[in-house]
Formats: sequence, structure tokens, C-alpha cells
Amino acid sequence: MKLITWNWFWYVLVGFLMGGGAVMIWHILKNMKLKMVWFEWILLILCFFTFMLMSQTFIASFQEYEPRAAWLSLVFMGIPILLMAVVVYRSINKRYSKIKALS
Amino acid sequence: MAKSNKKDPSSVGRRDFMKKLGLGVGAVGFGAAAYASGFKNLDKMMETPLAERKLPFWVKEVDEPTVEIDWENMEIFHGPENTLFNPASWENPQDYMDIYDRNIASTKKNVQDNVPGLSLKDRALADANCWGWGGRSGADLASPWAGADVKANPMWEHPTMFYTPEDYGVSKHEGTPEENSKMLRTAGRIMGASDMGFVKLDEKTKKLLWGKITFEDVEKGYAEPEKNKYVLPNKELWAVCSVIPQSLWMQQYSERMSWASSNTMSYSRANIYGNRLSVFLRGLGYQAYGGDTESMGRSVGFGVMAGLGEYGRAGILISPKYGTDIRTVLITITDLPLAVTKPIDAGITKFCETCKKCGEMCPSGAISMEEKPFWGGGEAYQAKGIKGWYMDAKKCYSFMLGGEPDCSRCQTVCPFTKFDDAVIHDLIKLSIGSAPLLNSAIRKMDDIFGYGEEPDLNETPWDLDPMDIPLYGLDKSRS
Ligand code: SF4
Ligand code: SF4
Repeated sequence: MKLITWNWFWYVLVGFLMGGGAVMIWHILKNMKLKMVWFEWILLILCFFTFMLMSQTFIASFQEYEPRAAWLSLVFMGIPILLMAVVVYRSINKRYSKIKALS
Repeated sequence: MAKSNKKDPSSVGRRDFMKKLGLGVGAVGFGAAAYASGFKNLDKMMETPLAERKLPFWVKEVDEPTVEIDWENMEIFHGPENTLFNPASWENPQDYMDIYDRNIASTKKNVQDNVPGLSLKDRALADANCWGWGGRSGADLASPWAGADVKANPMWEHPTMFYTPEDYGVSKHEGTPEENSKMLRTAGRIMGASDMGFVKLDEKTKKLLWGKITFEDVEKGYAEPEKNKYVLPNKELWAVCSVIPQSLWMQQYSERMSWASSNTMSYSRANIYGNRLSVFLRGLGYQAYGGDTESMGRSVGFGVMAGLGEYGRAGILISPKYGTDIRTVLITITDLPLAVTKPIDAGITKFCETCKKCGEMCPSGAISMEEKPFWGGGEAYQAKGIKGWYMDAKKCYSFMLGGEPDCSRCQTVCPFTKFDDAVIHDLIKLSIGSAPLLNSAIRKMDDIFGYGEEPDLNETPWDLDPMDIPLYGLDKSRS
């Protein structure tokens, strides 16, 4: 068994993308002088895990010769991800607007 | 008329789909990611009717081999009889015998000293894998009842073919039942069983053996086939239940293709495996009975009792890992003490109550559509005593053998029969095992997601790059 297979490059790429995304969010929040509240964190983490599951299902379903399952996984998991992301965005945005209005 | 979930011919074909995927998804980066993770269907996109041999990228084809050959003076080698495995091809045949005498002496000593890798169980495994197929050893293929009876190769009287503890001058293998079970599972994986379970024969489980099998107060079992008499010794015995996998990969093609390679090959592998297991057990100094696909008893019954799966609506065993994609559970009876494996509950039989997919898709109407399992049986080909779904084997056989192509629809459509690449399947199985209320929704989603659709008859493996075909057709999720 190879200790590191070609898949390693894929995992590193995903790791970089996720790390980059996390740093980006952290910077945006810092620049806006905003802190996220507990339920926003929960939704964001849920978003993240659902996104991971969706990507895995999408790619693995093609490996399983199940194209329809692959595309439908984008729909069935993508919609909840979008909804959660919108809730988090609107919640943060609402607070930001308030802070801006007060300052 | 049974319902079919055959693909709508107007729908986009699988290959077209792949092409679109390659173009559309490439833009968002998924295509690259998918390819990097071993995207086999992109290989399909690139297939040509006469696919070039695919070599690793650092290998190039050349006109002449890298070893120099003088074809002018090349001599024809006469054949295997000239190899040094034949004593006659030695100048002094006694040299050969001396070498083998030393080999015998060191082999015996290693077994007697229990040297790791060269101990009794290692030799038994080597003999099983080497001679378990029975050919060229001078023995017929192992007799299904008494187990393999490998003799020294009569062609050259190969003198290293010791294979019982007596031959090595040691007592038979001793281990705790737990150690023995672990040893058998390890050997089983090496010899060709994807999973293994153990059932102790008692007054209940003896009823899972064929009716022709009886018990007598004898030290060793015996058979008198002409009288249809098969006798096991009255002593503590265990059934070794070995799962023989079949190719799910092959089932993406037509039933006929699948049968041609996946199912039929699994039977031959099962019989070779059974031979090996018998040689292995005998090599440890224990008895082995059975070992072909038909000689012992009910494979589903033993499979359920050994915890290799649960009983399903179509009357077949459903494994939590392999689904219905099991060709058989091969039964071998032995007196090697084993730790039994218990039956399992993964919510599978319960799921069958709401699922009914195999029944809906069965082209012959052989599978019961009753919601709840029932006490049935009574036909000559059905045995009473199970609260289950009794399939009408006559309808199934009449369909399969009556001119229609070979059929395995009940296996291929089952929601438990899937590749295991996608993590989501494990989450679904977790739900089936712990929250049966969701079963009906899961069955609906299985249809919506397109699982178990009838394959496109125009697709065959003949156009693929041969190196993309899993060895023996066995994909990694079956092994
Ligand atoms: S093999 Fe085919 S005909 Fe027989 S029970 Fe299964 S689906 Fe029905
Ligand atoms: S298809 Fe459904 S009903 Fe039939 S055996 Fe599989 S899970 Fe049970």
C-alpha cells in the first residue's frame, strides 16, 4: 500500500481551499469589527459539514456510476446549505447595519 | 405485468451525461477534482474501440526489448520437462533428491520449532493456496464431501508435499476458539472469502443442513454417494460460513453480461475456495466436510445465524456491507473449535417490510408483496419454519431458464446493494438501523436518485481500457 497516493494532492488542495476560506471569513469579520453569535457559528459549521458531505457525495456518485444521484445530491444538500448561508449572512448584515447606524 | 424502472430512452445516456459533466463541471473545478480522485467515467469518455495499451507515464514502448536477443542463434527450449523441477533434467538426479531432502528436513524443523511464517498454520495456508485447486496434484478436484485429498504429484513424485501435522511430526494445531476464529478469518480473506462467520452445530442449527446428512458415533464422517448417505461424526462441530462475493462493477452492465462474468465466476471461485479451506483445515489436523456450493446446507440460513447478514424479502441474504451482492455463503463443517459469531440486526429485514423494490421490479412476479413476513412454505422447494417472505422459485426459474436472459434484478435493485464510495450510504444505513420511521422516505429517495435503474444494453465493458477493469471484475467495495 502506498503511504501517500495521488489522492493526497486532492486532499491538500481541498485543505488549502478550506483554510483559505476560513482565513477570508475571519478577515472580513475582523475588518467589519463584527463578532458572530452562537447560532451563526452553529449554522456556519453545519453549512461547512453539509458542503463537505455534498462534495463527497457528488464526486463519489460519479465513481459509483450514478450520475443522477450525483446531480441530485447538489440539489438536496445544496439548498439547505444556501438557506443556512443566507440566514447567517442576513443575521450578520442586520447587526452590521445597526452598528453602522449607531456609529 | 411487473413494473420496470428501465431508463427512459429519450433521457440523456450515461456517456452523454459524462461528456456534459466534463464540459460543464470543468468550469467550476469539480471536473478536475473528480478526475484527481480517480474518476473512472472520464476514462470512459476517452475510450476508443481499439484502446491503446495504457502504460504508466514514465514507460515508453520501444521496438526492441531492452535485453539483447540473438534470434539467429536462439535455441528452442524443449519445455517444462527440462526445468530443474524435474529430477531427470539434472545431470545427477540424486543432487535433486538431496536438495529436497534438505528442504524436507528444514521445513519439518521450522514447523516443529513453530517459526513465525514457517509454522504449521503457514504451511497449511501455503498448501491450501498451492494445491487447493486440486489440479496436477494427481487428485481429482476435492471431493465435496470428504474434503480435498491432495497427494504428492505423481508426475514427478514431488517429495515436499507434506501437508498434515503427522507428516511434519507435530501434534495438530492448538488454539483457543477465539484464536482459531481469527486465524480462519485471516486465512479466509487470503483464500477468497470476503467475510466469514461461525455457527456451532446443535439440535437447532443441524436443521439447516441438508436432509440427506445424518450423524453417527464414528470418529470420521464418511459418504456413500450411491446410497445418498452422508454421515457426520457425533462430536462437537462448527459450520464455517464463508461469503463469496460477486462483482457489483459488472452489474452496471446488462443482466446477461453480469451473469456471464460476475455470477458464474463467483461459483467457480467458491468451489476453488472451498477446496482451499478444506486443505487448510486438514493441514491444521482437523476434519473438513463440504466445501462446494451445494454439499452441506442452506446458505442463507447459515448466513443469518452466523451474522453475515439479515434475511431479505427476495429470500436472499442481505449483508450490511455487500447488500445482496453475495453469490453464496459457502458452508464447510469442521471439528476445529471456533468462537461463534452472533446474528445481527441492522434494521434490514424491517426495511424490507416497507421497501418491496425487488418485488416491484421482479419480471416474473416471484417475490411476495405481503407487507409483513409470514409463516409459509410447504412446497417441495420451500422449507417451513421461517417467518419471512416465501418467494415462488418456480416462477423465477421458469422466467430465467425459459428463454429470457439470466436475471438478477432482485439483487441489483436492492437499496442495500451499492458501491461504498459515497459516505452518505453509511448515514442512510445508520438511519435504517436506528430510525425505521424514515424507511419509506429512504426507499422513495432511492428511486428518485436513480439507484437500481436497469442498465443501458448498449454499454458493455468491451470498449473500456482493459486496465480500468477491476481484477476478476471485483471492485474494491466488494472485497
Ligand atoms: S432472479 Fe429475477 S425473476 Fe428471479 S426472483 Fe429475482 S428478479 Fe425475480
Ligand atoms: S429490494 Fe427492498 S424489499 Fe427487496 S430485499 Fe432489498 S431491501 Fe428488502
